[in-house]
Amino acid sequence: MLAIFGLILGIMLAYQFRVTREIQRIESVQMVKDLSTQVDQMKKDRDALQARVDTLRAMLDSATAAGPLTSEMKDELEKAKVEAGISELTGPGVEVTLNDSNISPRPGENPNLYVLHDEDVLRVLNEIKAAGAEAISINGQRLLATTEVRCTGPTIVLNKNKRLAPPYIITAIGNPDTLESSLKMKGGVAEALQFWGIQVSVKKMPQVTVPSYSGGIKFEYAKAAV
Amino acid sequence: MNKSIYISIILVAVILGLMMAFQFRTTSGVDRGVPYGREQELAVEKRQLEKDMNQLREEVDDLSAKLEKAGKGHSEASEAFKSELSKVKLYAGLTPVEGPGVEIILDNLPETSRPGGSTSFYTIKDDDLLKVINELRGAGAEAIAVNDQRIIATTEIRQAGNHINVNLTKISAPYKITAIGNAVTLQSSLEIKGGLVEFLSDLGIMVKVQAKDKILIPAFTGGLRFDYARPAQRG
Repeated sequence: MLAIFGLILGIMLAYQFRVTREIQRIESVQMVKDLSTQVDQMKKDRDALQARVDTLRAMLDSATAAGPLTSEMKDELEKAKVEAGISELTGPGVEVTLNDSNISPRPGENPNLYVLHDEDVLRVLNEIKAAGAEAISINGQRLLATTEVRCTGPTIVLNKNKRLAPPYIITAIGNPDTLESSLKMKGGVAEALQFWGIQVSVKKMPQVTVPSYSGGIKFEYAKAAV
Repeated sequence: MNKSIYISIILVAVILGLMMAFQFRTTSGVDRGVPYGREQELAVEKRQLEKDMNQLREEVDDLSAKLEKAGKGHSEASEAFKSELSKVKLYAGLTPVEGPGVEIILDNLPETSRPGGSTSFYTIKDDDLLKVINELRGAGAEAIAVNDQRIIATTEIRQAGNHINVNLTKISAPYKITAIGNAVTLQSSLEIKGGLVEFLSDLGIMVKVQAKDKILIPAFTGGLRFDYARPAQRG
């Protein structure tokens, strides 16, 4: 009798423990779900704010359009906006698609050789800049003077924590022929990457759109020097 | 009778013991319900979004104030315009800036100390500068220059024979990279164990990183010409 009683007690205890464990696990999953909904909501809020900023900029432009300002000054602002990455642009250019290797490494080979690295992306971007690209974005993220490109596992992170997954589509506005040949020239970046099976495709486009930077810009340390 | 009670008690104790032991083993794995990294990743993303939104709100306030001012009259309008212009130029890298930061000197080893005196020993390449700049950007640098050439969104850093072209200007070793930002963060991002300073030193490059209270970074001086990019039409 005592033994059976003890056994039941034991099973109940064990069951109880398992239930609490499940609850803990559910709580933890729930927390992540909440966090992820919050993040999604915040992204929407951020985009709404961004749209408001864009509208306000346009309104300011038209409000100051009629003033005594010279067209040189307006031109200067337009150019500065392009360089600062805060205006949406269109024009002819190229679309470069990069993806991890389609070669599967042989046993014993370093699989890392066949994966796209941040340096590879940096090199492609640098080449495009040298070929006179006027504005660049990767997967819809505008490239600024302060944009970093970092590999974290299978994804890359840029513009402070904007995470992108492959394939990476680099959109650049500039002379399509110059941009294409800078990448495709013999001994160039595309050839070097293709050696490892990294998929590089360059497409000339009559018109591409490069979005404005989505996010706030603020300098905390750098102040204008007089 | 006495004997069977003892046996029962022993049995119960054994079963309980086993269960407890099993229980302890599983509780240690409880936290793995959700991979720790994802939760952390979301938290980081949330913090960044908060920062973005705060900056955007400031931008909204700033623009609204200028817009209001612009509505008051011509002279106010041009004042608002000028203040907007100087702000955008600051972001674009068209204004000289100063602030705390780091200065990094990269130089090739002097010929005499090279093993075997070979001149084909490692010399600094465009990739090395690109890596340092990328690391500084990742650590939150707000303005960067290489040998006083301001790095803007369209700046290339490209090997051309024995020297490197930056903003279509030839520069050569020693390379001085200056960056404005949180000096401690910038410095440690480079000097971290297994980081770039270690990597470059292993290649045979002399690297010196120095935090400074005040660094002056010149404006981009080249001409800005946009022959292809046009503002996108909204609507």
